[in-house]
Amino acid sequence: MTTLAVGLRRRRLLPAGLHTLRGTAGVLLVGVVVLAGLLAPLLTDADPLAQSGLALAGPSGAHPFGTDDLGRDLFSRVLHGIRTDLLISVTAVPVGAVLGCALALLAATSRGADVAVQRVFDLLLAFPGLILALAVTAVLGPGRWPVVIVIALAEIPGFGRQLRAGILVQREREYALAARVGGASRARVLLRHVLPNAVDPLIVQGAIAFSLAVFIEGAMSFLGVGVRPPEPSLGGILSQSMAYLSTHPGYAAAPLLVVTALVLGLTLIAEALNEGIRR
Amino acid sequence: MRTFLLRRLPSGLLVLLAASFLIFLILRLIPGDPATSLAGPDAGPEAVAAIRARLGLDRPLLGQYLGWLGDLATGRLGPSYAIGGEVADLIGDSLGATVELTLGALLLVILLGLPLGVLGATVRRGPVAVAVRALTTTVLAIPPFVTGVVLVLVFAVTLGLLPAGGHESILDQPDLGVQYLLLPALCLALPSAAILGRYLKDGLERALAEDYVRTATALGISRRRIVLRHALPNALPPAVTVLGLQVGQLLGGAVLVEAIFAWPGLGQLAEQGVLRRDYPVVQDLLLLLVAVYVAVQLVTDLVYTWLDPRIRWE
Amino acid sequence: MSAVLQVRDLKVEFDGVEAVAGVGFELAAGETLGIVGESGSGKSTTALALLRMLPAGGRISGGSVELDGQDLATLAEPALRSVRGRRIAMIFQDPMSSLNPVLTVGRQLDEAVRAHGSAAKPERASRAVELLDLVGIPDAARRLRDHPHQFSGGQRQRIMIALALAGDPEVLVADEPTTALDPTVQQQILRLLERINRERGTALVLISHDLGVIAQTCRRVLVMHQGLVVEHGRTEDVLDRPEHPYTKRLLAAVPRLAEPSTAAANSTPGPEPLLTVTGLAKTYGPRRRPVTALGGVDLVLHPGETLGLVGESGSGKSTLARALVQAHAPSAGEIRYRGEPLTRSRAARREIQLVFQDPYSSLNPRMTVGQILAEPLIAHRLGDAAERAERVGELLTQVGLEPDAADRHPRAFSGGQRQRIGIARALAPRPSVLICDEPVSALDVSVQAQVLDLLSGLQRELGLAILFIAHDLAVVRQASHRIAVMHRGRLVETGPADQVVTDPQDPYTAELLAAVPQLNHRSPV
Repeated sequence: MTTLAVGLRRRRLLPAGLHTLRGTAGVLLVGVVVLAGLLAPLLTDADPLAQSGLALAGPSGAHPFGTDDLGRDLFSRVLHGIRTDLLISVTAVPVGAVLGCALALLAATSRGADVAVQRVFDLLLAFPGLILALAVTAVLGPGRWPVVIVIALAEIPGFGRQLRAGILVQREREYALAARVGGASRARVLLRHVLPNAVDPLIVQGAIAFSLAVFIEGAMSFLGVGVRPPEPSLGGILSQSMAYLSTHPGYAAAPLLVVTALVLGLTLIAEALNEGIRR
Repeated sequence: MRTFLLRRLPSGLLVLLAASFLIFLILRLIPGDPATSLAGPDAGPEAVAAIRARLGLDRPLLGQYLGWLGDLATGRLGPSYAIGGEVADLIGDSLGATVELTLGALLLVILLGLPLGVLGATVRRGPVAVAVRALTTTVLAIPPFVTGVVLVLVFAVTLGLLPAGGHESILDQPDLGVQYLLLPALCLALPSAAILGRYLKDGLERALAEDYVRTATALGISRRRIVLRHALPNALPPAVTVLGLQVGQLLGGAVLVEAIFAWPGLGQLAEQGVLRRDYPVVQDLLLLLVAVYVAVQLVTDLVYTWLDPRIRWE
Repeated sequence: MSAVLQVRDLKVEFDGVEAVAGVGFELAAGETLGIVGESGSGKSTTALALLRMLPAGGRISGGSVELDGQDLATLAEPALRSVRGRRIAMIFQDPMSSLNPVLTVGRQLDEAVRAHGSAAKPERASRAVELLDLVGIPDAARRLRDHPHQFSGGQRQRIMIALALAGDPEVLVADEPTTALDPTVQQQILRLLERINRERGTALVLISHDLGVIAQTCRRVLVMHQGLVVEHGRTEDVLDRPEHPYTKRLLAAVPRLAEPSTAAANSTPGPEPLLTVTGLAKTYGPRRRPVTALGGVDLVLHPGETLGLVGESGSGKSTLARALVQAHAPSAGEIRYRGEPLTRSRAARREIQLVFQDPYSSLNPRMTVGQILAEPLIAHRLGDAAERAERVGELLTQVGLEPDAADRHPRAFSGGQRQRIGIARALAPRPSVLICDEPVSALDVSVQAQVLDLLSGLQRELGLAILFIAHDLAVVRQASHRIAVMHRGRLVETGPADQVVTDPQDPYTAELLAAVPQLNHRSPV
């Protein structure tokens, strides 16, 4: 996300949005979490999977966040959990975005295609996301890939409907007609003229999509169909801590804080970008 | 109204039909034969075959699919494979709890989202504005499994005010039922309330920038009246659409919230059904949820039409 | 007569930039005052400042607006609210967006009435009917239940006026009240305003860019330019003996209906028709309830000829223009180019190009001017990158812009400059026919004159055939060889420009001509 934010600034697409207090705070929050995840191997040499006899310990010099119920170092698990979540999001969100946008472009080609694509979006929205998750996992078994597939499927209608709406608005603008009269082919009008004017909201959608990805990963872990233990993921650690909530609330603290920081940062970025667009 | 239903019903039914086919197909892709697992590890091939025949699993897929549709049309849901009992009874038993949960959450979504949207759009400065902004961005944007954990930590573990999980029917014991309902419903409602609030805020802000608000101002109508009587009616129809979509989110979110709060609803049933490969339970349940979603969309469109006279007259 | 409204040295700032730089005038009870100026002159800002209704970022930075001795510029907000609508009311340009789309007209009138008095509901209802009657909405009692979109544009503006009159104000401020309306409807609304001023003694401040509208309605006029009043006085004095150079320039730029066509001086049309349209029809909507936009149009266009096409909104002008550039397929009829049926081939489409009305929405905001102009060249595969760049420079020079304009985005240009860019884009593939759809109606009169000059110069130079679509008869007469009058999807009359104006054959043409506000009209004294 930081690279996205920096990239956006460099391209001067939405400088106003991210330079606000909200935008900076968001980029900072997301940046810290993402960096912590990326640099996990440098920040800790504890093995996130190594069990020890020291279970459910509080924070100490050796274990900054304490240990979990199997005596694993929580600091290392959380950092590697961030990595897992990042990897999943970075794979799933672009796939969902590309599929959604491709469907939206398909919808722009003819009235029949539009109706068909809209029904596809309806269908995807009609399956309550987590039930879809259950079904997909039932087919593929729990693990990383089902999570990626479920996230990608869940992202399709968001991106697709957003882009379709944008295309519908922009296509009625006179410059689109002007391009057509100027001799441009339908495909060229769509791709060269209409599309660049319709993509702005997608950048906001992107920020929302990443927080949705974190949400789905966590929810699937809670349902026991997420990333397969013992591999750490943010949702997984949090869901494992649930059983010890009344006796060792400190266990839940670190994953809770990280997920909150990540999602909050993404929301702040989305809001800042949105204001930037509207301005 | 009748022409509207006539126009919209076919496309709703089409989505439903497509969904039923998808559901059927996905479940048949699940590796592992339910007959084998039902028969147990010691059963011979004859026993498995007998179970297959009893369940109709030896028929061709298309036949099974059409048979299922036929059963649905006649209202016979049949027995479950693994969980035990009739599917209709299983769904009937958990339906009430989920309806309670989602309706409770929906009520909270409206109760929280509406004032958040209106205050967000109208109060620009001061502590109220800061509080509203902080609320929509921070607390409400956080996923339910996080708020769930925090809510339990605060209200159940630390303060001991409310139960950490479980269910009492609100119809049988209203006051106890509400205590059990409050945390899960709140946890389910918060993200949707944030989304409703944000859409309403955006819609209201747009409406307040419209020319007709300038007209009303020039007529000397009070700001309060302009917001509530002139701008809000314009901002409501799109918010209703969002609310309709959120009902779908609530149904999906219920699966998670039920797991967190040990709430014996359809989500728990679905989870069990999937994990134990109980085809009939899962496919009927999924279709039911899709049907509810399609129906909600239809109602949403009806309400929209009722709220926006421009569409009503087309 | 005593002054009901006294404005002294009024200054308005927008985020520190002065939009109104010291405006002063007084308005006697029952008087009519016109404020005229081009866009950016500060006339609308002045109007809004009279009710202290400036949009966000704007504030009154000096001076006073005294209504019966009460200074509205410093009045507290609650007190101000009791003045708005009750003592000074306002109507706006676009009656569609100025009325609330989801509330019934009855509800909106009720809101206006109850804002200034606590009359009981039945009384308010009868007052609403009375108001609708007053502004000439037939069957008022029944129509209270209708929503704004169920009324015509003119009726909507009548409803706006009814709303403004609900509080029985002493002053009515009308900001471009007829700009969005057709000439015949404009005429009716102006008569209504005159009648209200006469019968009820409501003083009227009329803001308009159209000198004709002011000349017809107002006894006194203020000419604004760059935030200042450059001239004011009795309307006929200002019109007949303008003193300030700006007023003189403005008056000179206004096209007059009485002046003969200048088209013959540009070019002599060729004998063979270039474009022949026969029986062109277009229907929209569902098959059971089709809407006819074009009901069988026949016309010919000769090389080097300008054919003016006039008609009111909804008459089918734009549909015809879009059919000619093949933006949509006609339902029936035929278009021939040089005697051959027009095909959808690239070569055929290249010959007919379109200039749009709105110089803002018709230029892609994401592209530089150079890219915009190169687009048609790329589409028609004309030249390589270097040749295209050269052609872009040439086009920009041709429309009177600097070649370095190519590197900038449309937002860096003024409305008139953007319209030049739009013309350059149309010229890029070297067409022989230019369809100009209301090319000057979004522009100020002085800019309008320049763009008209540009078009006639291009015709002289390139021998273009031009279909010039406009609703302003004076402009059309000046620019065209022949005029075709369109009404409800049909051509009701076609003839030489001067003849159509001086000797109309169709009653509808006569009606249109009668509705044109003219500078030599005088308001009733």
